[in-house]
Amino acid sequence: MSSKSHLERADSYRVATVIATDDDNRTADGHFKSRRKMPAKAAKKENLDDLKQELDIDHHKISPEEMYQRFQTHPENGLSHAKAKENLERDGPNALTPPKQTPEWVKFCKNLFGGFAMLLWIGAILCFVAYSIQATTSEEPSDDNLYLGIVLSAVVIVTGIFSYYQESKSSKIMESFKNMVPQFATVIREGEKLTLRAEDLVLGDVVEVKFGDRIPADIRIIEARNFKVDNSSLTGESEPQSRGSEFTHENPLETKNLAFFSTNAVEGTAKGVVISCGDHTVMGRIAGLASGLDTGETPIAKEIHHFIHLITGVAVFLGVTFFVIAFILGYHWLDAVIFLIGIIVANVPEGLLATVTVCLTLTAKRMASKNCLVKNLEAVETLGSTSTICSDKTGTLTQNRMTVAHMWFDNQIIEADTTEDQSGVQYDRTSPGFKALSRIATLCNRAEFKGGQDGVPILKKEVSGDASEAALLKCMELALGDVMNIRKRNRKIAEVPFNSTNKYQVSIHETEDTNDPRVLLVMKGAPERILERCSTIFINGKEKVLDEEMKEAFNNAYMELGGLGERVLGFCDFMLPSDKYPTGFKYNTDDINFPIDNLRFVGLMSMIDPPRAAVPDAVAKCRSAGIKVIMVTGDHPITAKAIAKSVGIISEGNETIEDIAQRLNIPISEVNPREAKAAVVHGAELRDVSSDQLDEILRYHTEIVFARTSPQQKLIIVEGCQRMGAIVAVTGDGVNDSPALKKADIGVAMGIAGSDVSKQAADMILLDDNFASIVTGVEEGRLIFDNLKKSIAYTLTSNIPEISPFLAFILCDIPLPLGTVTILCIDLGTDMVPAISLAYEHAEADIMKRPPRDPFNDKLVNSRLISMAYGQIGMIQAAAGFFVYFVIMAENGFLPMKLFGIRKMWDSKAVNDLTDSYGQEWTYRDRKTLEYTCHTAFFISIVVVQWADLIICKTRRNSIFHQGMRNWALNFGLVFETVLAAFLSYCPGMDKGLRMYPLKLVWWFPAIPFMLAIFVYDETRRFYLRRNPGGWLEQETYY
Amino acid sequence: MSKNNGKNEKYENQFPQPAKKQTFSEMIYDPRDGSIFGRTSKSWGQLFLFYLIFYIILAILFTICMQGLLASVDNHQPKWQLEESLIGTNPGLGFRPLSEQTERGSVIEYDRKKTAEGEYWISLVDDFLKDYNHTEGRQMKHCDFKQTHNPNDVCVVNTESFGPCSSANGYGYKSAEPCIFLKLNKIFGWVPQCYDTAINGMPSDLVNVINNTATEERQQIWVSCHGHFGKDKEHFENISYYPSQGFPIYYYPYLNQPGYLSPIVAVQFKAPPKGTMLDVECRAWAKNIIYSGSLRDRMGSVTFQILVD
Repeated sequence: MSSKSHLERADSYRVATVIATDDDNRTADGHFKSRRKMPAKAAKKENLDDLKQELDIDHHKISPEEMYQRFQTHPENGLSHAKAKENLERDGPNALTPPKQTPEWVKFCKNLFGGFAMLLWIGAILCFVAYSIQATTSEEPSDDNLYLGIVLSAVVIVTGIFSYYQESKSSKIMESFKNMVPQFATVIREGEKLTLRAEDLVLGDVVEVKFGDRIPADIRIIEARNFKVDNSSLTGESEPQSRGSEFTHENPLETKNLAFFSTNAVEGTAKGVVISCGDHTVMGRIAGLASGLDTGETPIAKEIHHFIHLITGVAVFLGVTFFVIAFILGYHWLDAVIFLIGIIVANVPEGLLATVTVCLTLTAKRMASKNCLVKNLEAVETLGSTSTICSDKTGTLTQNRMTVAHMWFDNQIIEADTTEDQSGVQYDRTSPGFKALSRIATLCNRAEFKGGQDGVPILKKEVSGDASEAALLKCMELALGDVMNIRKRNRKIAEVPFNSTNKYQVSIHETEDTNDPRVLLVMKGAPERILERCSTIFINGKEKVLDEEMKEAFNNAYMELGGLGERVLGFCDFMLPSDKYPTGFKYNTDDINFPIDNLRFVGLMSMIDPPRAAVPDAVAKCRSAGIKVIMVTGDHPITAKAIAKSVGIISEGNETIEDIAQRLNIPISEVNPREAKAAVVHGAELRDVSSDQLDEILRYHTEIVFARTSPQQKLIIVEGCQRMGAIVAVTGDGVNDSPALKKADIGVAMGIAGSDVSKQAADMILLDDNFASIVTGVEEGRLIFDNLKKSIAYTLTSNIPEISPFLAFILCDIPLPLGTVTILCIDLGTDMVPAISLAYEHAEADIMKRPPRDPFNDKLVNSRLISMAYGQIGMIQAAAGFFVYFVIMAENGFLPMKLFGIRKMWDSKAVNDLTDSYGQEWTYRDRKTLEYTCHTAFFISIVVVQWADLIICKTRRNSIFHQGMRNWALNFGLVFETVLAAFLSYCPGMDKGLRMYPLKLVWWFPAIPFMLAIFVYDETRRFYLRRNPGGWLEQETYY
Repeated sequence: MSKNNGKNEKYENQFPQPAKKQTFSEMIYDPRDGSIFGRTSKSWGQLFLFYLIFYIILAILFTICMQGLLASVDNHQPKWQLEESLIGTNPGLGFRPLSEQTERGSVIEYDRKKTAEGEYWISLVDDFLKDYNHTEGRQMKHCDFKQTHNPNDVCVVNTESFGPCSSANGYGYKSAEPCIFLKLNKIFGWVPQCYDTAINGMPSDLVNVINNTATEERQQIWVSCHGHFGKDKEHFENISYYPSQGFPIYYYPYLNQPGYLSPIVAVQFKAPPKGTMLDVECRAWAKNIIYSGSLRDRMGSVTFQILVD
C-alpha cells in the first residue's frame, strides 16, 4: 500500500515536469488561474488535475510561423506594446506566486489561542464571570477577580504578541532573501530592444539571452549561437546542454528548442519567444507541487504538543476534581469557581512557551552565526534529532569547482594541488613536458576570468566558460601567471569548438617565438580520441614514436585517473609546417583544411570537483553521532564513489558488492548483498526497485551512495528513509529538489547555489553551502533539546509549590498561603530568566558521540521528568513554602494548629475581630496584610529553593562540581531572580499593586534548609546515577 | 518492512520504531507481562517504596523545622508585638451578635413577630457573654478610675450594667430595640492614649457625653455609632450606650492575662425604622487609634447592618 502511494506521488511529480498546453487559451476567458486567488483546497485539487491532464504541449512541435501566429508576435519586431500590456494584465506578472501564506491575523490568533492560552482564557473568563456575579449580588464586590481576570488576559495577550513577534521576525529573515537581485531581460517590442524587469515579460515576447543570464521565462528558441544552458536546477544534469532552434524530441524537457525559466545560460546567445510565464512555467509547476506536499509536524512541535496535552490534562483533572470536592465539602459554587481559577493558574506554566521560544531563538541565532540560517524556529531541534542526512554531492560535499587534480606527462602521474587554500603538494613546473602541456591547456581554452575581480584569489574567481576549461584556466593561471597575456602573445588564428561528435577542440595559434614562422595547432579532448590522432608522443623533452608500449602506459594512466572518478582530458599539439601553412593562410574550420592527424601527444590532465576541507571530519562526526550519511548525486557512480571514499561516506575498508565480486573474482550475483556494508546504487537500478527492495538497500547497507539519480528519485529515497523511522535531513539546491526538501523532516537549502524555490521549500539554509555546517547545526540542535529538558524541568518544579497552597486551602481550611498574582510573579517573573539561561548551558558530555534521539521514547517531557519535578523536587519546595508560611503565621500570633479550619472566618469581611493563639484580635484588614505577607514569603521561599533547583538542573548526570558555574547567563539569572524578588517585596507601592509586602530579613531564611536538601538530594541521586549506570534510579529518575 | 522484526537479526542502522499501540484494556492491565498501567506490580512496589522513603525523610525534615519553630515561639506572648507584628498598633472594633454563617455577613436581621428569629440573635449574644457571666474561680478585680491599675490585674466586666440591654430583656431583640455589643480588638501590650477633652470631628452627642463626664472618668476610649453613608440621619438620633460610651482605660494593656475579659459597650438602637436596612458604622476614639472608613482599608472602626421587620 505504502509503496503504491509513494509511486503515485512520484508519478504525479514527474507529471509536473511536463509543460501544459497554452495557458493563454484558458486565461483568455477571464478565468484567473493564479493559485493565490482561488480558495486553497479547490486550487490544490485543480492544480494537480491540471498537471495530470495537460500532458502535452506543442509549442516545441509546431512550426515557428504557427507559433508566431498563436502568440500574435513577430520574430524581429516582437509584440506590440498594446498587446504586451494586454497580456500582462491578463496573466499577471511573470513571477512565481509565493507559497500560500497564512494570513497574518490567523498566525496572530494561533499565538493568541494556541498552547496554554486557551486554558488561561478560560481562567480569565471565569474571573470575569465570578466578578460580575459578585458585583450584582454584593454591595461591596471585591475586585480581586476583576483584577485577576485582567492580569490573566494581559498575560495571554502579551505572551501571544511575543511569540507572534518572534515568529514574524524569523520569517522576515526569509523575506530578505527574496528579491535580492532583480532580474532583467532584454526584450524586443515593436522592433525596439528594451531592458525590462523579468516580471514584466508576457507570453509572446521575443527575448534575447546571452551567456551568464538567467532564462527569464520558458522560451522557445528561434535563433541560437553556441547556446548552452545549465539545466541542473531543473533536471539535475550537471553538464550544460546545448540548445538550438530545431525540434528534436517529443518530450519538452529533452527537445533542444526549449529553455526553461530560472535555468542559466552558460554559453552563447539565443533569441526566443516566451511560451509560458510565472506559475505556468515548468519551474512554477514544481514549486507549486512542493507547496502542496504535506510536511507534517516537526519533532519539537510534537514534543511540545505532547507536553501541553500532559499539563493541560493534569490542570483540567485537578481543577475539575477540586471543583467537585469543593461542592462536596459544601463550598459556595462561586468559591468553587475561584478555586478552579486558582488551580488552572497554578498548573499552567505561563512563561514556559515563551521560554521555549526564546531558547530556540537563541539557538537559531547561534546557528545563524555558524552559517545555518533557520527559517522556522522548530527546525532548530529537528536537526538535532536527525538520524539520516541525504546530502547532495556537488557544492555541499565538494567545492563545486572543477579543479585539476592530476596530470600525466613524461610518463608519470603528477598530483596537483586541490585544496581550497593551495596548501597541498607542489610539482615541478620547469620540465619540458609540463611546459608543452601547459601551453596547450592555456591556448586551447576558451574560458576567461570575468572582469572586476582583481582582489579575488585565483581559485575563487568567477570564470565564464565550462567547468573543465575553467579548471584548466585556473590551474594554468596558478602555474604560469597571466594566462590572458600568454594568449595575447600567441594569437589565436582559428578554432574548432568542442562538439559531442568529434569530442575534441582545436585551435591554431601564432607562437610567441618570432623567429619561428610556424603556427601551432593545439588540441584537447577525450583522451582516447586524442590518442587516435597522434603518431608521436613527447616524453622528457623528446618526441618519440607512439608505440604499443607507450599506448600501454597511456592506458594505464588513463584507467588510473578515470578510476579516481576524475574527468580526464587528453592534450596534443603539432607545429604546422610553414611552407604549407604560411602566414595569412585561410584556415577553414568547417571543412577542415589543415592536418588533425599524426599529431604529437603531450599528456593528460584530470579534473575533479574536490571535497571541501572540513567535510571528512564532519562526516566522521556524523558517524560517531550515529547519523547515517547518504550521498545522493546526479553524477557518475565512479566519481560519486571516489568522492564518497575521500570524504569518508564510504569508509576505508568497506566494500561494495562490486568490490567483493572483484576481490573474490566471482560474478556479482553470487555475492551475498548483506556482506557488503557499502553500496553504490545507480539511478537506473533505482528506477526498477520496489519500495520493499529500497527498504532493504537502506537497511542492509550502512554506507550508501546513490549516483545518477534524478531529483524525483531523491523524493523516493527520502520517503524510504522515513518509512524506516529515520528523521531525515535533505540538502538540495535545485528547484527540482524542492519536493524532497519539503518532504524531508528538515530540508536544507544552499544559500549560495540554491534556487529561490528550494530556499522556500527548505526549513534551513546553509549560508556557506558547506556540509560541515550541517554538523554544527546537529550539535546545536542536540544541545538545545537537552537544555530545553533542563529548562522545562526547572520551570515545572515550581508548579507543585504553586498548586499545593490551593489544595491545602481547600482541604485544610487554612488561610491561602500563596495567591494567584504571586504565582504569576513566579511564572512570568523570577522563573523566566533562569529558565532561559539554561539554554546557554554547556553540554555535559560529547553529544556528538551518542546516537540520535529516539523520537518515540526519548520525549522532551517524560514521566521521569514529571516524577522528578513534581514528585520529588517540587515536594521539597512545597515543604519549604509551607514552612515559611507557618513561621510567619506563628510569629505573628497564629500557631499552626490554630490555622486549620479558620478559613471561613478569616476570609469573612464581617469578622473584624478574629482571635489568634495569643488572644489578640485581628481586623479583616490586618489579617489580610498578614496573609499577603505570607504570600510574599511563600514566593520568596520559592525563589530561594529555585536557586538550588536551577543549579541541579544544570546537569542531568554529572556533578555540579564537575560542570562548574561557568554559565554566566545562568549566574546572572540567579542574581536576577533574587533582585526581582527583593524588588517585588520591598518596592513601595507593591502592597497596593501586587499585594506584596516587605518581609523581615529573617523570613528569607526558613527556606534555606530545604534549599540545601534539594541540592544534597540531587547530588546524591546523580552520584548513584553515575555509579550504577542503567540502574533502577536511572530508569526512574533520569530524564 | 516486517522482515527485520525478528530479534535475532539486528542491523547497525536500525532506526527506532514506534512502540506498539496498546488497547485501552491493555493499558490498564496487560496480561503479557502482568503490568498494570504500564508497570508490573514489582515495579509499582519499588516506586512506591522509593517515594515512601523519600516522603518519610521529607516529613522528618519538615517536622524538625516545625519543632524548631515551635520551640522558638513563646506560649504566652507573641514573638512579634505591636509595630513589630503585622497586627500593628491600631486596634479595630468588633461587634456581637455575629452570625456564624459567614455568608450572612454582618447583617443582623430579624422579624420581631417571629420569636425564633429574635431568639437566634439572643442565643448568639448569650454565647458571647458566657465568659463574662461565669467568672467563678478567676482572680478578678472590680476596677474603677480611682484605683491605680496594675497591668497584670484582670478587671471584671459587669454584665449587669447594660441597662435595657440586659439578658432579662432579651438584649432588646424581643422588642424592636436591638442591642449591639461593641468591643475593642485586643492587641498584646497596646496601651491607649485617651482623649480627655472633646476634639473636632467628634459627633455632637459624643462631645456632650465627654463634657458631661467627670474629668477623672474621661480616661476612656470613646465610641460613637452613626449612619454609614451619612444617609438616614434621623434614624440614628436615638442611640444609647451602656454602661458608658467608651471603654475604660483600666482594662488595658492586654497582656494575655489568664481570664482577661474585653470591656464591652452595648449600643441600643431605639425605634429603628421598620423594614429598612440600617447601615451602621461605629468607631473608636483615642489618640493612638487611626480611623479609616474606606471600604478596603477599614481601620479603627466597624460596620454592620440592622434590619428589623
